[in-house]
Amino acid sequence: MKPICSLQAAPIDTAGLIRRLVTPADGAVASFFGVVRREHLGRGVHHLEYHAYREMALLEMKRIARRLQREFKVERIGLVHRTGSLNVGEISVAVAVAAPHRKAALQACAAAIEAIKHHLPVWKREFFTDGGAPRWVLGSAEPQTPLAAAKKHEGGAEDGAEISGKERD
Amino acid sequence: MRIRLLYFALVAEIAGCQHEEMEVGDATSAGEVLLKVVDRYPRLGTPGFQPLLAVNREHASPEREVREGDEVAIFPPVAGG
Repeated sequence: MKPICSLQAAPIDTAGLIRRLVTPADGAVASFFGVVRREHLGRGVHHLEYHAYREMALLEMKRIARRLQREFKVERIGLVHRTGSLNVGEISVAVAVAAPHRKAALQACAAAIEAIKHHLPVWKREFFTDGGAPRWVLGSAEPQTPLAAAKKHEGGAEDGAEISGKERD
Repeated sequence: MRIRLLYFALVAEIAGCQHEEMEVGDATSAGEVLLKVVDRYPRLGTPGFQPLLAVNREHASPEREVREGDEVAIFPPVAGG
């Protein structure tokens, strides 16, 4: 089965996603839903704005799903991520895996959300309840990032202050 | 040769645009493209900020060679979920 991959402005129909995945061959469905939390690093979050590199994100979702299908021998995977403005309590990302047995479903589901967090070209901007300037949430960079590598090649220095807030899981 | 540059999130905000074109020499790597872009928008070089690269919609290492017409994207570490 081709994975279900979607990047959408509309709210995620989680029950519908699971219904589309499950077949009579399945004995387990594992799912994960990421939800917009009301605070980040001690500040009240009013809402989040999600931005994506749409064309690449869809390809990346398919690459992630195919890798998980191979790695965990599961066939039915659904990955959905929202874009645009989301309020506290809304589901921003949904992962569901249906499989004959729970172990593979649970493992593939956990690996899927990690892969999304680390590889999907999506960014979020926080808007705060205190009315302060909105801020981009920066994900954790890979250990060897391009600019670091390029600068190292030139003999440049690397350490210093943050430009903005770091992501906290 | 000419390549197409795409910027996202904080990188687009710093650059003040979401895409532009750039003329680069043959045998240019994605990392060299990034350094040219940082020259153009020095705030991207702020220590601690680590822009990442994609070439033709796939994550790319700085060593990746770019070709005529390639789409090179520069963006902050991803933060979905």
